Order: sequence, then structure tokens, then C-alpha cells
Amino acid sequence: MPESLRYILLLGAAAYLLLIFFLLKTGRLSVRFSLIWLASGAVLVVFAAFPYVVYVLRDLLDMIMPVNLVFTLLFCFVLLVLLSLSVAVSGFADRIKRLAQANAILEKRVRELEQELSGRRSP
Amino acid sequence: MPLKILVLIPCYNEEENIAAVVRRLRESCPWADYLVINDCSTDHSAEILRQEGCSYLDLPVNLGIGGGMQCGFRYAHQNGYDIAVQMDGDGQHDPAFLQAVVGPVAKGELDMCIGSRFITGDGFQSSFMRRLGINFLSGLILVLTGRRVRDVTSGFRACGKKLIAFFAEHYAQDYPEPEAIVMAVQHGCRVGEVPVVMAERQGGVSSINAFRSVYFMIKVSISLVIVRLSGRKDG
Repeated sequence: MPESLRYILLLGAAAYLLLIFFLLKTGRLSVRFSLIWLASGAVLVVFAAFPYVVYVLRDLLDMIMPVNLVFTLLFCFVLLVLLSLSVAVSGFADRIKRLAQANAILEKRVRELEQELSGRRSP
Repeated sequence: MPLKILVLIPCYNEEENIAAVVRRLRESCPWADYLVINDCSTDHSAEILRQEGCSYLDLPVNLGIGGGMQCGFRYAHQNGYDIAVQMDGDGQHDPAFLQAVVGPVAKGELDMCIGSRFITGDGFQSSFMRRLGINFLSGLILVLTGRRVRDVTSGFRACGKKLIAFFAEHYAQDYPEPEAIVMAVQHGCRVGEVPVVMAERQGGVSSINAFRSVYFMIKVSISLVIVRLSGRKDG
């Protein structure tokens, strides 16, 4: 891995981790969703700090450029994050649906109660 | 004790039809309660329902036919109805056949009874392309469940108490009719058909157009297979 890439990676990973912590601290990112982001940041830091790990992995996977391994892994992380987001969105969609249904049923009840009340008041 | 029957009428932008549909239902079937489910229509459907003094649910956001019907099943479940009948809000379904569709469920012969326009072949039969799609889905359901249901997309269907409770919790979303059949069979319910005659929609536009029909076929086929693979769902 070129030295310059290593430093850029290190700097980038540090900034990235800082950003995640900042978002967590200000409450704009929930811990539940931050786990996978933190994991990806941690892997980046390990790669940048100890390029030896990348070389070993490259040899294990028979890749020519170590950089390719970094990119491939990052891409896998992005896919995972996207998938987890889709899962989260599906869960939210289901909850919104349930809320809307409960709301509609309650609204009908309230409407009927109001009619009953106004009927009683002015016969 | 007479059975409590609720007719569920999903309604999305049906200002031209909904008042007539409800009026016809009230006149011909006073023995059944009804509930219009207004799925956040963008036209004047809600105002018309209010003015006509209809019994209706007003969904605060658009959930689509699946979410709307599920809401109806929930209401039916909470209010102890024995049979819930789905009937479209566009005037395609004649309340004169309500008794026929409810009958087998009321007698305890079936858990889900579908009003089918293909048994006798009378009345509006839909376009050739649509029939092709319906036949394909019918074949797929035959392969997946071993049951022959001809009119798999028919929205004129009655469900018994067991299915009301089940659908209140689990109901398919986008195009739920074929999927609901597979879910019902998986849940150990008896599904059957009775002949009905359907009319062409009276006004307004159908929710399924040419572009969406391709999406419809793919989505429904995939979800049918997934529902089948996911095995028996209890509860």
C-alpha cells in the first residue's frame, strides 16, 4: 500500500469516527444504527495503522493489489449498511402502518362519541 | 344468534361511485353492517362519506389497499364480527351476490369464499391480457398450494372469524388478493369460490394500469413464492 494512501486512509478514518461520535453525542444518530458504521470505521483504522493485516489478507485471497482488498471490503460494508437501512425502513413502514390503522379506528370512535354527545345535548 | 356480518369497502378516490355503492348495499342488504375505508383519498370521497352519513374509517396516511383492508379486518376483529366481506368501492361488485359469497362461510363450509367471475363466464370478464395474468397466477397458486382458485384477483370475498383474526395481524400489502389466498391456505383455512357476475367499473380509474401490471406480476409472483416458503404462520 502506498505510504500516501495510508496517511489519507488514517486521516479519513479518524475524521469519520469523530463524525460518528459527534452525531452520537448530539443525539442525531441512534446507537443501534451506529454499530455497523463504527465497525466499518474501526476496520479502516486497523488497515491504515497496520498495513501488514492487509498484506496477509491479500495473500490469503490471492489478490494482486492490496488496495483492491481495501476497496472490496469497503464496498461490502456499504452493501451491508444499505441492507440494514432497508431493514430499518421496512420496520418503520410497518409501525407507521399500524399507527395509522389504530388512529383511524380511534378517530371513528371519537367521531361517533361526539355525535352521540351533541345529540344528547340538543334533543 | 344471528351472525354479525361486516362489509368492508376500500375506497381510494372513488367520489363518482362510492355514494351509489353504499346506497345500493344499504337497500339490498340491510342485514349486514358496512364500513367504508377511505384510504386518504385526494378527491372529495371523504366529504361525500360525511355528507351521506356513511359508516367509515378515515386513514390519516395512504396505506394502499393492503393496509386499508387490514385496518378493516382489525376493526372487524375488535368489534367481534363473525364474517367480513370485502367489496370494491368502484361498483364492480353487485350486492345482490353478497348472500351467495357469504353463504358458504356462514354455513361453516369455507373459511374464505371468493366471488369468481370465471365459473359461469357471465358479465364483465376483463381484458385478454389481464385474464392471461390471472390464469398464470391461478396456476402458480395451484402449484404452490394444490388448490384451484380461478379468480385469484377478485376483491369480492368473505372471510370467517379465524381469518379475520389472522388478517388483522398479517395481511399482504401492495396487491394483496392472490397473496391472501396463499396465506389463508398456509394458515389451514378452506378456500373456495362461488360464481358471481361483475360489472365494469362505473367511473374513475382503476389502480392498476399498463405500466404497473408488469410490476404487479413480478411482485405478486415473488411474494406468493415467499409466503409459501415461509411455511405455516400461526397467530
